[in-house]
Amino acid sequence: MTKSRRRRITTVVRYAVLGAWAIVVFFPIYWMISTSFKPDTQWFAWPPVYFPSPPTFSNYMNVWFGVQEYAETQYIQSLQKPLIALRNSLVIAFTSTLMAVTFGAVLAYGVSRYRILSEVRMFQLLMLRMIPPIVVVAPLSLYYSALGLLDSMFGLIVIYFLTSLPYAVWMTKSFIDEVPREIEQAAEILGASRWRTVFEIVLPLIRSGLVATFLFILILTWSEYLLAFIIGKTQAVTLPVELSKYQGTSEGRVYGRQAALAVGITIPLMIVGLFIRKHLARGFSFGMVRR
Amino acid sequence: MARIELTGLHKSFGSVIAVKGLDLAIEDGEFVVLVGPSGCGKTTTLRMIAGFEDPTAGEIRIDGRVVNDLEPRDRGLGMVFQTHALFPHKTVAQNIEFGLRMKSVPPQERKRRVREVAEMVRIGHLLDKMPSQCSGGESQRVALARTLVTNPSTFLLDEPLSSLDAKLRRELRAECDRLHQELKRTFIFVTHDQEEAMTLADRIVVMREGEIEQIGSPMEIYGNPVSYFVADFFGSPSMNLVSGEIVHEAGAARFRAATFEVPLPERLRDAPRGRATLGTRPEHVRVRSSDEGAIKLPLRLVEPLGKDTLLYFDDGSERAFVAVTEGFAMAEELEAGARVSLDLDPRRLYLFGADGRRIAAVHS
Repeated sequence: MTKSRRRRITTVVRYAVLGAWAIVVFFPIYWMISTSFKPDTQWFAWPPVYFPSPPTFSNYMNVWFGVQEYAETQYIQSLQKPLIALRNSLVIAFTSTLMAVTFGAVLAYGVSRYRILSEVRMFQLLMLRMIPPIVVVAPLSLYYSALGLLDSMFGLIVIYFLTSLPYAVWMTKSFIDEVPREIEQAAEILGASRWRTVFEIVLPLIRSGLVATFLFILILTWSEYLLAFIIGKTQAVTLPVELSKYQGTSEGRVYGRQAALAVGITIPLMIVGLFIRKHLARGFSFGMVRR
Repeated sequence: MARIELTGLHKSFGSVIAVKGLDLAIEDGEFVVLVGPSGCGKTTTLRMIAGFEDPTAGEIRIDGRVVNDLEPRDRGLGMVFQTHALFPHKTVAQNIEFGLRMKSVPPQERKRRVREVAEMVRIGHLLDKMPSQCSGGESQRVALARTLVTNPSTFLLDEPLSSLDAKLRRELRAECDRLHQELKRTFIFVTHDQEEAMTLADRIVVMREGEIEQIGSPMEIYGNPVSYFVADFFGSPSMNLVSGEIVHEAGAARFRAATFEVPLPERLRDAPRGRATLGTRPEHVRVRSSDEGAIKLPLRLVEPLGKDTLLYFDDGSERAFVAVTEGFAMAEELEAGARVSLDLDPRRLYLFGADGRRIAAVHS
């Protein structure tokens, strides 16, 4: 077999494997979007309907705006008001993520430059994440009810902030480690204070890393279900909790509505990802500081 | 203007001692080069002066004032790093301007001085570029400009040229020299390159294992090394160092090596018997056309360099015994394998004892 022939075969195999993988990954997303545009008669149709005909916005209108006239065969009045859940989710996820990344970066700087946490402590910090959430849910809700944090956005922000802090520290630390000390020392000897050095030199240099960390944690908090379900009961309902309410209703399973809601949960993250994809590629590939 | 004094300076990292009881006074406007092999403590010393490392013991004074507890930015020094350490996310102009901004210099003034300094190190055309678009030599010029613009009393240079190729290194060496002449500031330059030290320094400080081995002008260091280590470190090609022993016969001292024996000059008459090393620089070895030379060695290799020709002889050790002759004549005349008669300049013979120290002064 000649070299060029072998290379061609390798290419074909590579694309075949990647293509198969892409189908596995994208099919559920495609199915969700497709279902969200299907009239209710096609939700359960067999053989399955791949392309809704005719496509309809009724699911969206019904789920997001509670418009009844679009509900053709079923009457589903949205009791939980998804728009409010969307607002809750935005506030909770963005606030807790922003806090986690900010504090995480400061902490990581201390770990990287001043070794304020030993290797063991750093590992223990990460271990915190390995506790299954269900284990802490019961004591947590007791504490929270004593503190009056149950069913409040603030309560969820606090718990999300705390649980994602280990990720933030670990990820940002790896980026800070990449910034040569000499660059900071150069700034220092030129007259910059330590804080000035951090804000004017270090943070801009790890910007891509911070953005990648931000998105990573945002996805986690945005889609978190268990804690939100236990703590957020009625006043601080988030989108994943909202979504679960469509799983079983008195009318049976309303896949079209649920899909319409799921699309609304997924799209914002995709938009954020698209906006910052330049940073993501750089952030996840590390080593962006030229030595 | 700055006179820098180090007294009893000591630095250890855990059980590793980097600098041991260093005493050194650097005069105002002097160009001092700290030189030595890697791990000799030269960079640690420089970093202590800069304020990036705290001395374990001892004092650092700048103009008489103890600065041990001062932050780097309060010491009035400027530093150029081996890796240039430019800010990758700022343009060249912003890099240079940084120090002025930290000192709250007004924007108009900043702009003027950035341009002035950029012209001085010939990077005026680079001001709008990013550091990643600059070559190694250009980056180092930017780093120099960034330090220059803050007008420090002392320049600390930590192997600033070691990441550059040979030609650029020579060019920037000349640049450093010119800046020193023009600015008349104190320069402390760290390098492991003896050639850099020789060409730049007013005074060379040779360091070894955390201690000062010798301090002196380049000519003193070259012509009057106090130890085997210094003799071996300076000079290219390096000094011929032949081990053997000193013997006394009929009131005269002789040096006996594995493959030859030479009488020692009068001034080395009292050298103690025993194992020793004989040193002589390649340029002080004369090739004799006749058979009258003091020693005869087989020629191993001829290396014509253009202006000079290097002759490598086999003296029975791992290291070749080298002689330098001018021009090409010898390259054409001699062939590898021939036994060649050589004379050693008796005024330029060095003897080192078994402890590595020099046995007696050469220039009597």
